[in-house]
Amino acid sequence: MTARTRIAAAVAALSVAGAATILAAGGPGAQPPPSSQAVVIKGKAPVSSQVLQVKLPRPQEADLASGVHLMVLEDHRAPQITFQLIIPGAGGYYDPPDHPGLAQFTAALMREGTATKTSEQISAELETIAATLNVNAGLSAQDATVAGSSLSEHFGRLLDLTADVLLNPAFRDEELARYKLQQRAQLTQIRAQSSFLAAERFNKVVFGDHPGARIMPSLTALEKTAHDALVAAHKTRYVPDHAILAIAGDVTMAEARTLVDAKLGTWKNAGAPKPGVADPTPLERPGVYLVARPNSVQTDLVVGTQAISRTSPDYFNLTVMNKVIGGGPTGRLFVHLREEKGYTYGAYSNLGAVSYRGVWMASTQVRTDVTKPALTDLLDEIRQMREIRVPDQEFLDNKRAIVAGFALELESPQAVLVDHITRYRYGLPIDYWDKYPERIMAVTQQDVLAAAKKYLDPSRLQIVAVGNADAIAEFLKTLGALEVYDTEGKRISEK
Amino acid sequence: MTVPVLRRLMAACGVALLGFVPLLAATTPKIQFTDTRLENGLRVIISEDHTAPVFSIAVSYNVGSRDERKGRTGFAHLFEHMMFKGSENVGPGEHFMLVFNNGGNMNGTTNKDRTLYFETLPSNQLDLGIFLEADRMRSLAITKENLDNQRNAVQEERRLGVDNQPYGKTFEAVDELAYENFAYEHSVIGSMTDLSAATVEDVASFFKTYYAPNNAVLSIVGDVDAKTTIEKVRKAFEPIPAQAPPPKVDMTEPAQTAERRLTLDDALARLPRLDIAYHRPDSASPDDDALSVLATVLSSGRSSRFYQAIVREKQLAPNVSAGAGSSRGPGLFRVVGTAAPGKTLDALEAAIDEEIEKVKNGPIADWEIEKARNNAKRSFVGSLTSTLSRANLLGEYALFYDDPGRINTRIDRLAKVTAADVQRVARQYLTPENRTVVLTWPKPSAPKGGL
Repeated sequence: MTARTRIAAAVAALSVAGAATILAAGGPGAQPPPSSQAVVIKGKAPVSSQVLQVKLPRPQEADLASGVHLMVLEDHRAPQITFQLIIPGAGGYYDPPDHPGLAQFTAALMREGTATKTSEQISAELETIAATLNVNAGLSAQDATVAGSSLSEHFGRLLDLTADVLLNPAFRDEELARYKLQQRAQLTQIRAQSSFLAAERFNKVVFGDHPGARIMPSLTALEKTAHDALVAAHKTRYVPDHAILAIAGDVTMAEARTLVDAKLGTWKNAGAPKPGVADPTPLERPGVYLVARPNSVQTDLVVGTQAISRTSPDYFNLTVMNKVIGGGPTGRLFVHLREEKGYTYGAYSNLGAVSYRGVWMASTQVRTDVTKPALTDLLDEIRQMREIRVPDQEFLDNKRAIVAGFALELESPQAVLVDHITRYRYGLPIDYWDKYPERIMAVTQQDVLAAAKKYLDPSRLQIVAVGNADAIAEFLKTLGALEVYDTEGKRISEK
Repeated sequence: MTVPVLRRLMAACGVALLGFVPLLAATTPKIQFTDTRLENGLRVIISEDHTAPVFSIAVSYNVGSRDERKGRTGFAHLFEHMMFKGSENVGPGEHFMLVFNNGGNMNGTTNKDRTLYFETLPSNQLDLGIFLEADRMRSLAITKENLDNQRNAVQEERRLGVDNQPYGKTFEAVDELAYENFAYEHSVIGSMTDLSAATVEDVASFFKTYYAPNNAVLSIVGDVDAKTTIEKVRKAFEPIPAQAPPPKVDMTEPAQTAERRLTLDDALARLPRLDIAYHRPDSASPDDDALSVLATVLSSGRSSRFYQAIVREKQLAPNVSAGAGSSRGPGLFRVVGTAAPGKTLDALEAAIDEEIEKVKNGPIADWEIEKARNNAKRSFVGSLTSTLSRANLLGEYALFYDDPGRINTRIDRLAKVTAADVQRVARQYLTPENRTVVLTWPKPSAPKGGL
């Protein structure tokens, strides 16, 4: 790889000279927030004011007759190759409403035996050469992904196995029975996890009946899954028409093409239409939800709402906003809830922009007896984003952090390739990542304020808490009409 | 003083000459580095890699929870948090800002054997990385306010990772029962009581004793020039005075002579779980590699014996894993399994024992050994695209074994392990009288907070 790098003073220098600047924001108010000692900038460390401008290397790309879009990012520094085969239309998003998880079951069972190989043989062949091969289809994902990796010397063998798993899965009944047994155990175990219960309830309240709500299959869906349904799902969904095959590592485009022709030559275009998506129904009111989890010593908190799709014009504005409020240990949530108040081990936010309207959410886990002040502070941080212009230095620091972070991606060809997959997947321009830094730097404080006002609207904000109901239900009721659920996901009446 | 790297190259040639998997030796690159000791005792390892405009800097301090005294469990890790609360020239929280706002990444981590701090940064921020590590090694800000704040954060970390998790207490219970020596007997996260008891004086004395340059290794890997970098490092770190070497911890663990067994109730768990821990020697032992291959044969991937026999065929458990438990002091070879709904821990335990007996007495196939060799190779090759992974390994190997070059020899060492070696270590260590067994039972205790 020839990562072209150059030094350029693309953004103004981080003001590091002079007296201490106090960054941390505190309580409510229309003025820039009052000071706290959670963060003190002494400004004495030697910082290069320049941002290392990096140009992400571009993969070579080709459209094959089957419909597959091939992307190859050549990088010979380590003798290994990784690939991702992304198959739109094969994810759980497209599962029938009464069969959520069908895509996941299909994906998982593809590796459990082909027409000519048993599950044991596939595992042994792969693992003997320390190669990996996994087929995944998330519950709400649009795609199934076949992902693999190996030492360069074993890549041909890996692709042989990949082709077999992709094209000739057997879906034997005995494997299905085994899989069901394991899944039953997993469906039982995951309900012990507070974080799962929080995610399950939050997705449900934000997405409603939209497939985006799906997070785990139901036991009913698992039990009713039979051989024929798997065969049918595989046959109709695993087509190359809109697939992306992205390869990174110790291989050239010519070598990759030869290998793909040889191993996947029989994977023919099926004339399938491009799978569509729809946005979830807009949220019309706020909500407060409690999952009562006996014996909890912490409260898991998730607060969020529907936000934007990946191609929204507000993407850059919300990316910067998200960084300011909850993007890592410099975000306001972390600084205030952890470094200032000591309520939690961590507090972060996340922008999940996908093909349809996704979510923005903030989350943290706090000891039970500070649930009230912690959630109050968290909600106040959201209010401040809506009402108060981000101070100049904090704003610049956050944009600089996003832009400067690109240099680190150059260490890993897989990370760079993931960016290019995103670009292709969402139909973004070929120079999207070249322009990305300047698009981020062009975002203004007013843009962020406007985006926060628009998207972090309290009349659509959903609050989910998982924890000890005796200790926190009364407080939650003060925030709105409270709905209470048990750990099985069933609504329960209060005592 | 800069040590030449000849020794490692010779080792590699030796392996090739003897004919052990010459293909591996021929195609796997060796990591080159310089190894220097400053006048104050700080060991500095620098490895150039110009393939990306990035470097990683890591400081491995020779202190972990093994060094804690009774009544102060969790202190090494609590102290690690204090290292981000400022020093003479860096304000509280400024470390995070300086690293992330300049496009970097960072963290700190503590285990039983060492405490590690690291940053990965764009290559034009080398001065920043060196400054941040030198300033806190020289002049940590020790205040009660910082301590109280991080005590709270760490207590939440404990609730998050242990007290609010199913099986959270099982891990602690295994170590407490298996070890008699306090050094490894207690958990890294420590007890709530001990965390509450820690004082500012404890922090100050811990800093002076353990955070001295002569008790640390600094490693820098990436897009740097070794010659100018060592000069920058000298300037920043050499003025920090050496301290008297910390007291050496007695790690001796008395030989176990009879099985230890315990049953735990867990109000958060849903399925019964079985934990078995066998005493094994430390990672410098010649048996370390064979134990690692043994763990691979038993539980690495779906071709492993545990998965094939217990998960797939007998369907007794959704998962069973084995870990070699390689650690700097006396380790534990661990086996952990969860019983499938409707299956018993007795049946699971019998099935695990049966597989262990098969390894001891039955044949081990060539492909199972080849798998372990290829795993080692892939793990090494993977580190070639991460400056951080190499910086951490070089630091750890220098600290634990006085041999950073070990980073280049693992593949060759594992290639020498034979099926007979694996059987020998299985027979020697995986014996009933050498094990600790903990059974965790789901217990829906009196509903508390369930409405």
